[in-house]
Amino acid sequence: MDRPLDDAELVERAKRGDLRAWETIVRGYQGLAFRTAYLLSGSAADAEEAVQDGFVKAYRALGRFRRGSPLRPWLLRIVSNEARNRRRSAGRREALALRVAAADRPGDAVPSPEAALLGGETRAQLLGAVNTLSEEHRLTIACRYFLELSEEETAAVLGVRRGTVKSRLARALARLRDELGEEDE
Amino acid sequence: MSSLERQLQRLGQELAYPREPDVASAVLARLDRRPFPWRLVAVAFAVLAVAVGAAFAVPQARTTILKWFHLRGVTIERVETLPSAAERSQAGGLGRPLSPDQAARVVGFQLALPPRTNPSRVYVLEGALASVVLRAEGRPLLLSEYRSGNVDLLKKSVGGKTVIEPVRVSGEPGLWLEGGPHTLTYFNQRGEFRQRTVKIRGNVLLWVDGELTLRLEGELTKAEALRIGRLIRSG
Repeated sequence: MDRPLDDAELVERAKRGDLRAWETIVRGYQGLAFRTAYLLSGSAADAEEAVQDGFVKAYRALGRFRRGSPLRPWLLRIVSNEARNRRRSAGRREALALRVAAADRPGDAVPSPEAALLGGETRAQLLGAVNTLSEEHRLTIACRYFLELSEEETAAVLGVRRGTVKSRLARALARLRDELGEEDE
Repeated sequence: MSSLERQLQRLGQELAYPREPDVASAVLARLDRRPFPWRLVAVAFAVLAVAVGAAFAVPQARTTILKWFHLRGVTIERVETLPSAAERSQAGGLGRPLSPDQAARVVGFQLALPPRTNPSRVYVLEGALASVVLRAEGRPLLLSEYRSGNVDLLKKSVGGKTVIEPVRVSGEPGLWLEGGPHTLTYFNQRGEFRQRTVKIRGNVLLWVDGELTLRLEGELTKAEALRIGRLIRSG
């Protein structure tokens, strides 16, 4: 059986005009790209548009993509720029209030012990504390922990340097600990 | 990683996000210069407006795109010059006339209609777009609906005289297009670019309702269109 192609091989094929290779990349990253764009733009419609435009622009910019560089942060940077531009042009100022998904649906797996532990009140309290953070701190927390992006990817998404991500994270975590009445670890 | 960081990570796994769209087909369609691969999409029909039509039919210099507007499943582009197009009567070129039940089976959804409306005929184009002619205050209105899915099915271009305004219809996003003609171009279900461009002079309200994108066309003021739009509910 043929092994799946990795990102580098897919990019090389896409650079040669292989749209099927690009389709594989789009399908592989569109979920994360959408969630990222949604957090930044605050609108599902804007996020969808940003993802679509981002992948079109990224394909056209493949000539400038450095061979051997990681693809994910590069794609996320392009999509995030689109999402931020849309939010700006829509004049949307209010922060996106994060919320937890509805309770278990029929057929869902039993929650893990960790998920059960982090149930009800604790979860609501933690989310409430995150929603009180400033926009830049909240987005840094969201990228790093909710989307589980690396520091480099978080920096790419937020359009800041990696050092800025580190310092924002430290301050945001300290604020959360204050809010939750926890001791520093 | 600290306990707080682990808690945040677990919280992230439980956050609510909107349904993730599949944009791959739309991305490929925009990148592929050959007839669009709509056949890859489980969508039978697209109404395209002049932005795309113009890109094919009008010299580049005349089609500078000035601004984009977006609604789910719909993209509108303002262009400097509209392509030439035949004028359409409201029921012209809308497809096969069917009974409402037959139409629902063909398009796969129940039409959203104003209360106490029982159209005798529903026009179905390319198995996907359903249209009815309504009457409001003695004037004919054209209501068209399709399942918008994840890709832009409807693209329109408008000239400089058309006002485009974001609106809300029963809390859902919509766009109001007033003044000046605009044009529509159709795709068929095999993805062939069937450029049947028609010119429309009425005002148009576009909005989404659940999985449907709706379009109301006629000689209406914005207030009238919004009032009628709020009465039209799916299900």
